[in-house]
Amino acid sequence: MRKKHKFPPKWLVTSVWIIGFLLLWEFGAFLVENNPKIQNPEYILPHMWQIFASFFDTNLTTATQTPFQVVLEACGATLSRAGIGFLIGLSAGFILALLMNLSHIVEKVAFPYLMLIQVIPILGLAPIILALTGDIGISRMVIAAILTFYPVSANTLAGFKSVSTEQKQLMFNYAAKIPVTYWKLMFPTCIPYFFTGLKTAAPMAITASILVDTLQGDGGLGCALSQSLKHNTTIYVFWEIVIAAAAVGIFSFYLMGMIENMVSPLQRINRKLKRGDKG
Amino acid sequence: MENIKEPVKNDIEISIENVSMTYQADNGTDVKALTDINLQVKKGEFVALLGPSGCGKSTLLNIIADLLHPTEGNVIVGGTTPKDARLKQRYGIVFQRPVLFDWRTVQKNVELPLEIMKWKKEDRRERSTKMLGLVNLSDFANHYPQQLSGGMQQRVGIARALAINPEILLMDEPFSALDEFTKEKLHEDILRIWRKTHKTVVFVTHNIQEAVYLSDKIVVLSPHPGRVSAIIDVNETLPRPRVPEMKTDVAFNQLVLKVRNSFEEV
Repeated sequence: MRKKHKFPPKWLVTSVWIIGFLLLWEFGAFLVENNPKIQNPEYILPHMWQIFASFFDTNLTTATQTPFQVVLEACGATLSRAGIGFLIGLSAGFILALLMNLSHIVEKVAFPYLMLIQVIPILGLAPIILALTGDIGISRMVIAAILTFYPVSANTLAGFKSVSTEQKQLMFNYAAKIPVTYWKLMFPTCIPYFFTGLKTAAPMAITASILVDTLQGDGGLGCALSQSLKHNTTIYVFWEIVIAAAAVGIFSFYLMGMIENMVSPLQRINRKLKRGDKG
Repeated sequence: MENIKEPVKNDIEISIENVSMTYQADNGTDVKALTDINLQVKKGEFVALLGPSGCGKSTLLNIIADLLHPTEGNVIVGGTTPKDARLKQRYGIVFQRPVLFDWRTVQKNVELPLEIMKWKKEDRRERSTKMLGLVNLSDFANHYPQQLSGGMQQRVGIARALAINPEILLMDEPFSALDEFTKEKLHEDILRIWRKTHKTVVFVTHNIQEAVYLSDKIVVLSPHPGRVSAIIDVNETLPRPRVPEMKTDVAFNQLVLKVRNSFEEV
């Protein structure tokens, strides 16, 4: 039986957290602003309201776009590229976990490689991958896919392994074929594990996409970021990107949670039970 | 419809001949889990496999269930091998834990084996409704396992095991995780269900009173290596039907003592 925490409610925790964060930021901005040694405080730490005001800035910072339009376009580019890499990585990760669970030989052979991928600093190898593929768009997807691959694969495999011996014996006793056993037992059991993998991987895929952006032009948040620091746009583009990048990462995490809520039967049941619904 | 006659016991349902089971331990030495087991279970008989941990009682049950293969000897179930018996859906298994699927309702849990057997939806519904009635859980059909108490969950497990109407019910310490009150209630339930359904029951337990109260025949297993040290007929001392008042009878307690004394120490 799970204990129900009535207090403090979730919204209160969230608000306190946000207010605390803003206070800290503003305190820092205040110190920076009032330090006579600092020439351009907005380059170190501007006030939050200055950043937010810049979102509504209608002055063009490039030939055709306001700062917010620049950021918005870059966000779209980053998200879609990270998304493609993420989908490739999660499919490959899931399929490998499935094969590893189906065959001991595959597990024995593939597991060391899986660990190897985990310890290699893929992000640091981005320039090499760019040189190998020769295409910035492809390298972006490759790196996002590799980063997604490990958490999805490892968590999904852990999900399959969490199925109890008795549950498997039960399916064996009913002479259930392998596809039936997977459909009725293995997949439903591993859904929460799979989504833990997705929640870990989604922000990582976005980080990868942003980082690879910075290597070369071709749009995206990272590209806009490096340009904003080269002073050919207003510095607030930089700050907007910082906020946008964080927002996109958080969004990707919550998006996975939302999808899990939709597809996971256990989540549906828990919600039902919380509402006090009798079945 | 209720048939209150005691189950008829004549034909041999399960025959275990010279069965031995040797495991290879990690350090390469052989560990004898079971040695030279001979045992016959009649059709409709309620047999308890009783013994302390390490006596191989669950191993023996798993051998009957085709979950393990003996290193020596033969097991014949209704004239065929355990594997054929399993493929013909002659076994219902109840584990120590309920082993329910949390994401399925009680009714859908009972319907699981029927889905695997590709029964039609209406037939599944009809059968599972009947089984839930048998274990007195009709009102909980649409609940989820986590909403039920341990005893109720175990009853769902029994209903699921009976759903495919197997001839043999294999129970591996099914009540040992339950509190004393729930356990006593389930003892009455299982006796009532057994009378109604005429199943052959092989019941693994380490509880002497439980074995004496429920079974026709107690197979006493002693450990290191696992072997049969006695087979005790209960019906001679305690006639059917069993009622809770019997537990205070002198005869009952003498039988408990007799069973206890039949264990062989290493």
